[in-house]
Amino acid sequence: MNMSSPLLRVFALAAAVMAVLLVIAALNPSVWLLDTMTGLFASALLVMSLHLLIGYTGLVSFGHAAYFAAGGYIFGMVLQMPAFIAAMGSWSVPAATLFAMAGSGLFAFFVGLICARLSEIYFAFLTLAFQMLFVSIIQGLVAYTGGDQGLTGGIPRPEFLGLNLAQASDRYVFAAILFVLGVLAIRLVTLSSFGATLRCIRDNERRTAFLGVNTYKAKVLVFTLAGSIAALGGVILAVFTSAAYPEWASWSVSGEAIFMIMLGGLNSFYGPLIGVVVMRAINDVTLLYTTHTELTKGLAILFVVLVLRRGILDWIMDRHKNRTRSKTAASPARKEQTDVAP
Amino acid sequence: MKTNLTAGMSRRTFIATSAGSAALLACPSILRAQNATIKVGMPTILSGRVAILGETASIGAKLAVDALNAAGGINGRQIELVIRDTKGKPDEAARITRELITTEGCQIILDGESSGGAFAVHEVVRDAETYCVHAISETSSLTADPANRAHWIFRAGRQGIHDAISGGLYASELAKTGATRWATCSPDYAYGRDTTAEFMEFLTMFAPEVQTVGETWPKLFQPDYTENITNIMNFAPDAVYTCIWGGDLVAFFDQASLYGLFDQFQTVAVNLGDLPVLAAIKNLPAGIHSGNRYHPDVPDTEANETWGENFEKGGKLPTNWGWQAYTGANFVIEALKATAGEVDRDKLAEATKGRTIDSPQGVDGTVTMRADDNTLIGYAIGYGKTISEEPYLTDFRPTPWDVIQEHEAEWKKRKNYA
Amino acid sequence: MLDLTALATCFTSSSCLVMQTSTGVIIGMLLFLVASGVTLIFGVLHVVNFAHGAFYMIGAYTAYTAYGATGSYFAAVIVGTLTAALVGVLFERLAISRVYKENLLMQVLVCYAFVLICDDLVKIIWGSEYLAMGIPDEFRVPPLRLVGGVVPVFYVFLIATAALVAILSLVLIRYTRFGKIVQAAARNATMVSVLGIRVPIYFAALFGLGCGLAGMAGALAAPVRSMTPGMGLSVLIDSFIVTVIGGMGSIPGALLAALILGLTRSFGSIGFPLFVDGAMFMMMVAILVFRPQGLLGEKAVR
Repeated sequence: MNMSSPLLRVFALAAAVMAVLLVIAALNPSVWLLDTMTGLFASALLVMSLHLLIGYTGLVSFGHAAYFAAGGYIFGMVLQMPAFIAAMGSWSVPAATLFAMAGSGLFAFFVGLICARLSEIYFAFLTLAFQMLFVSIIQGLVAYTGGDQGLTGGIPRPEFLGLNLAQASDRYVFAAILFVLGVLAIRLVTLSSFGATLRCIRDNERRTAFLGVNTYKAKVLVFTLAGSIAALGGVILAVFTSAAYPEWASWSVSGEAIFMIMLGGLNSFYGPLIGVVVMRAINDVTLLYTTHTELTKGLAILFVVLVLRRGILDWIMDRHKNRTRSKTAASPARKEQTDVAP
Repeated sequence: MKTNLTAGMSRRTFIATSAGSAALLACPSILRAQNATIKVGMPTILSGRVAILGETASIGAKLAVDALNAAGGINGRQIELVIRDTKGKPDEAARITRELITTEGCQIILDGESSGGAFAVHEVVRDAETYCVHAISETSSLTADPANRAHWIFRAGRQGIHDAISGGLYASELAKTGATRWATCSPDYAYGRDTTAEFMEFLTMFAPEVQTVGETWPKLFQPDYTENITNIMNFAPDAVYTCIWGGDLVAFFDQASLYGLFDQFQTVAVNLGDLPVLAAIKNLPAGIHSGNRYHPDVPDTEANETWGENFEKGGKLPTNWGWQAYTGANFVIEALKATAGEVDRDKLAEATKGRTIDSPQGVDGTVTMRADDNTLIGYAIGYGKTISEEPYLTDFRPTPWDVIQEHEAEWKKRKNYA
Repeated sequence: MLDLTALATCFTSSSCLVMQTSTGVIIGMLLFLVASGVTLIFGVLHVVNFAHGAFYMIGAYTAYTAYGATGSYFAAVIVGTLTAALVGVLFERLAISRVYKENLLMQVLVCYAFVLICDDLVKIIWGSEYLAMGIPDEFRVPPLRLVGGVVPVFYVFLIATAALVAILSLVLIRYTRFGKIVQAAARNATMVSVLGIRVPIYFAALFGLGCGLAGMAGALAAPVRSMTPGMGLSVLIDSFIVTVIGGMGSIPGALLAALILGLTRSFGSIGFPLFVDGAMFMMMVAILVFRPQGLLGEKAVR
């Protein structure tokens, strides 16, 4: 299979996006824009890593926010240890980030080992149960995690590679790097043969198993990967707020992540990213006019689910396909495939 | 830059023209600044289970600000309250506070967030070096711990330690009349644990014969207190202390009265004295000891009654959060009056430090922002007993402030906060 | 943390044993009452009603208003139940029925949206203050003393009601024509409709029944619980734990699970007070891992 062309395209796209994001920082925009984008990057990492599970493997996880939060906590707790900073010096922040990824990945690995045996609703509930257990533990170990108050005292952020994370623009650059690398990693997975395996599992697990694929191993692996990448989102938030909070692992964070995926579109790779932006827009715009954000959000969800019946990007792509189809008066409609990125 | 002077423009004219045009360009902003509103950002909780906190805090703050604006503002400039919902999430609070400062241009923050969120806001205003008055958080360490202090940050609300000293003193009287076996039932989170620990610390200090025979820790927002209630009954104490608050306290009372709990022993419910709680509990048992959160009779003055009535026009019954936000807003207003509207962080801080302002909730009609740790003193504080009909609280015994401050100073030494 | 000596002391003291067991039963039966609606709906329709907590809330608030208007607790309970059932039917017709065939995600989202909308509507209509119904005069009596334990009369009433609900719903599903039709329709709607039966009506009725049960639980418990917008969340989580452990769709299973959980809470508050919640989640994890169909559920088709 000729993989070099899509692969090159993806790397080129990643480089281009990185360049654009850096240029935005160089243009010295308002702090509001930088902060908003930093927050969006964090949400995007959570959502895209969950998309890998839901959209590409068919694993509906209700408890994905646990790994997101775990990343933030590990990052913060590690940097709050003076011994660590003494040892790592100016490499503290990157090292702590790697630690967060590894720790969260390990957590996801163990949960995945247990959960991957189950199907749909039971899998979903078990991931939720582990998330609730995680929150329970965080709130219980007050001495280490600050309990329900969160990690207090601030997180030391020694400068590295010329980035001073107390500055909004440097924070933004750090977050942008993590974002591009994280999404690139996910994209590479979906384009690889492992990604094809995942899609086979999504479409018909039994048949895939008959082909000789160890579906259990694949599911555990993707669950671990998704957990590690979600951790990067937590790291961004930890840097942004200089703390970590148990609310980051609440079911509503997981629920909103699922919604952002649905809002943007399950059937394409970049759909959920659109979902993240639109969701934030809905939130901010509603706040301008009313305090009834929940009502508006609920109505928006109902609209997308019941009227559009699919995500925004999917809807756009369907309209586009229908228009091209009617122009060429071609063959009858076929079920969409998600092999290559738009 | 060419300095060719031969084209008819002398150097002096050139400089004058450039200076003039620069002044012209700057002028609108000066004009804007002079007639512009003074923006005060207020992050608070307006949704979720504790929405009532933000709603009543907003009414309190608006009460002060609207009165000032109606009277002409600060030298003609109006104050604009920019109230934003943090949904009770600390990271949301941090984000919103930052936005209020950078995007909305608020150079003053009136923090309406409670404990956890208040710390998040605290970090942001410390980082951004913005003048801030915390109006809601009661966590003592926010101002008591020198590690948290910054000269531009103040607290205009009650402090947990004051309530603990006042409660301990009051309860020690109960101990003298025979209530020596105490049990506690408080929510299992930072506020619940710290407040209960502080109360018991002072109680055992004032009445060493007291012993703790049991503790039970329900979770915050737990709907069913049955196991906690039966635990208390198993402990067979003489008296029970609880700092459960709000809707949880209402549920706890209803469930406990099913068991006839309040016939069996004395109860000290710190947070019962909040008007919405008192109003919500049907068939309030009499003889429960409660602190005052907000009560129209504490202090029993005309000013306080009137204030309560004005507050109710805002649509809700006054709460502890309401009077604290009102007080915080007033400190901001008085500081602005002292600086004649100049929104300079250090000048405002200087004008707030040690200041005494009029307050309907002050023991002698005033409250003071103590200079050495930027926190509020002089507000009416004490305990009373409940009765089954209005005004629900009677026999109120205020705790004198000199006594409170004396014990507070010792407590600070013990915790190495001095 | 772990106070095994206190636990042992309690087991050896008959009054403590009775007290804690009765407490456990009370908690358990209340849990069952609240969870029965979820179990019923899942058992027949194979839909997880994530909006269950919202119906509980609707039942509680409408009962509160009815009680204020009529002064009668029983009228209030009926109003609460019927309102929740009605809203449930509407919700089913307008939203849920469209996502029966879809995957789990759609169902979750529709319910999540409904919960958001309900929470805000309740806040708009009733305000954000905490409301309490107060204990009705019929139950303002001293608690009963049974064999060394103390049991409030109100709870005896609730336990009896919960038991009645358990029996009636079991009978309804297994032995009545209605129950048999709905069960058959859930397995194969097309065949059943071919028999001339209007399947959508049956589905709506069952969903409404499940929501009505949730509302009834809310109304029944209203005298001793306070009401705030968003109160549905805690009962939702409890209901799921009960349903999962008991067996998704098994009413006897839910009853058994609820009692086990009640006793765990009751004795756990003496033996491992800080870890009661953790213990409950771990039980849920254990069941999902070793016996996903729950204690008494049917073996799931994997």
